[in-house]
Amino acid sequence: MRYVAGLALGAMLATAAQAEETVVWWDFLAGGDGVRMKQMISEFNESHAGEVAIDATTLEWGVPFYSKVQTSVAVGEAPDVMTYHASRIPLAVKQGLLSEITAEDWEAMGLSEGDFAPSIWESVQGSDGKTYGVPLDTHPIVLYYNKDVLGEAGLLTEDGRPMGMDSREGFTETLTKLKEAGVKFPLGSVTADGNFMFRTIYSLMGQQDGELMTDGEFLVGDNAAKLENALAVLQEWTNEGLQSTYTDYPATVALFTSGEAAMMINGVWEVPTMTDLHAEGKLFEWGAVELPVIFDHPATYSDSHVFAIPAGSAEDPAKRAAVLEVIGSILKGSLFWATAGHIPAYQPVTETDEYKQMEPNATYSPLTANMIYDPKTPLAGVAGPIFDVMSTYFVPTLNGEMEPSEAVEEITYELNDM
Amino acid sequence: MIRNSRKESLIAYALIAPFVAIYGLIFIYPTIDMFILSFQDAPLIGSGDWVGSDNYTRLGRDRRFGTAAWNTAYFVALSVLPGTLVALGIALGVSRLSGRLQALVLALFFLPYILPVSVVFRLWDWTLNFQFGIAMHLFDWVGIDRVPIFKVTAWFMPAVAFVTIWWTCGFSILLFLAGLRAIPQEIYEAAALDNTSRWRTFRRITWPLLWPVTALVLTIQLILQLKIFDQVYLFSQGGRPNDNLVMVYYIFQRAFVNDHGGRAAAIAVVLFFVVIIVSVLNFQLMRFAERRQ
Repeated sequence: MRYVAGLALGAMLATAAQAEETVVWWDFLAGGDGVRMKQMISEFNESHAGEVAIDATTLEWGVPFYSKVQTSVAVGEAPDVMTYHASRIPLAVKQGLLSEITAEDWEAMGLSEGDFAPSIWESVQGSDGKTYGVPLDTHPIVLYYNKDVLGEAGLLTEDGRPMGMDSREGFTETLTKLKEAGVKFPLGSVTADGNFMFRTIYSLMGQQDGELMTDGEFLVGDNAAKLENALAVLQEWTNEGLQSTYTDYPATVALFTSGEAAMMINGVWEVPTMTDLHAEGKLFEWGAVELPVIFDHPATYSDSHVFAIPAGSAEDPAKRAAVLEVIGSILKGSLFWATAGHIPAYQPVTETDEYKQMEPNATYSPLTANMIYDPKTPLAGVAGPIFDVMSTYFVPTLNGEMEPSEAVEEITYELNDM
Repeated sequence: MIRNSRKESLIAYALIAPFVAIYGLIFIYPTIDMFILSFQDAPLIGSGDWVGSDNYTRLGRDRRFGTAAWNTAYFVALSVLPGTLVALGIALGVSRLSGRLQALVLALFFLPYILPVSVVFRLWDWTLNFQFGIAMHLFDWVGIDRVPIFKVTAWFMPAVAFVTIWWTCGFSILLFLAGLRAIPQEIYEAAALDNTSRWRTFRRITWPLLWPVTALVLTIQLILQLKIFDQVYLFSQGGRPNDNLVMVYYIFQRAFVNDHGGRAAAIAVVLFFVVIIVSVLNFQLMRFAERRQ
């Protein structure tokens, strides 16, 4: 009898093992946010033991990731689910890389359009009227600052924010005073990497209501002048010695965390870096706020991480159900994702009191009202063609090798020549 | 024994067949495909519409192609001849040593060659990084202004050429050493008996007898450096890749960043012919030089 029972148990376990669906997952989250995503994945795997198991791989961000997606889809070796940038959805749709997220899929995940802000929902719609992604978050850039250094220089307001955040003159004055106080680099700026600077410069254009692309043409009318204004401000800071020159991304973060740069414009994805260093007692008091208003009104460039299913992947119903379960669960548990600095796209999470009290997110969250996105074109997107063209001329301009007007001329020519 | 020549040639064909088949599959076929692709308006994956020679005529007014062609030529000029001369100099020095000391010195010069390019990049970035590089602290100490070596175009190619020579000259040194050892000692002894000066010995004996090796090293270097990619890609990461474009990098960028498979193929075809023409010219020049000697 015991033998039979043992056999039966064995058989049950075997079927359970067979029924476990493995979901192959690719992401490009390699920073502090990647650590948090790995924790979310292992928690998912624990709570779904025997049913669904995520087999996750982190690949290199940018061109390497997106090239691999393209080639893997072509040969039918794509993952079941992957992270994607909303800004790259138009290109992906043109290339036929993504599988539609159908109405039934949304129902299965227990999610709907109403759970997302309209601008974010819009960013995952293809030009063919179909939906191609499930938004996970939105990740703008913010201004990080060293409270200790700014406090010592008397540049903090009563509520602990940097002074002069409302005008070009005000902010430049804050930078100048920091310089006078002996700070080596008042602003740590990724001046060696034009790809990164696209985010800052596009934000500054947005602050003047500038448009990059109007009816398929680039920098039409006074938009070119607005780009020039944005470049001129940044070049002025370089010429006055107010920001770090020829600094690449890792060096910028290192300049800030080592205290050599008092402030830094960077993505919210660096929040976990700061939080973790601070928790270990290796970082000064710090804060993160919305970008200063250099021109007419606040505006911040933002992109969204979304979940997408590659074309031809997860077509088997059981597999599809497992994939949808993964996406749905991660989204509903995205309060933890907010500790990675990102603003969760799933609004029921951002409406909780817990989220509203989370720092530094709560300090910069108001910027969600002022977010601007990439133009919707296959040429846009992180590490895409527009990024690439503009970045070429940003680096010489930001380091004082090229006049802003010349850069704008070259950019306009090259963009329209694509 | 009567040899069955028909049988022998059958066996010969059977023996080379696997190689020919694989060569055809992974080299000849893709090469033909690349030619066809270069006349199409193709994305990265799949074929596109036939556009005639558009992809080629476009290159004429494509500024990035100009940059890439110029930078590649510049890099070849900076690395091939200097690299060969450096290797020759080191080989001449090493050949004067003997025994364990020679092995040790040779190993030291050869060591960088076994490093993967990623490690080479890390080493030199660690040394020359504008904010945190060791050399920059040295500059500060001596009182020289820091130079953002890999971030300004004036310094980029010379620096990459320098790193490349440091990295790869070990192999050329080995070739030169082998060439030097193949020169019979008797000739040197005879020269010594005649009281020939060191420079004359080098000019009249070493140099001409070493010429075939020199020609080989030059040709290998030339083909290798025309195809430069890794170092330029790594060192311009997070910097200004478009100002430092070289041909292979531009092919990569057209295909993978801009999704233009057809245009990328056209550039690849151009590079293909450049490599062939330059190598043939180089080879003929070498032969001409050899005959004159």
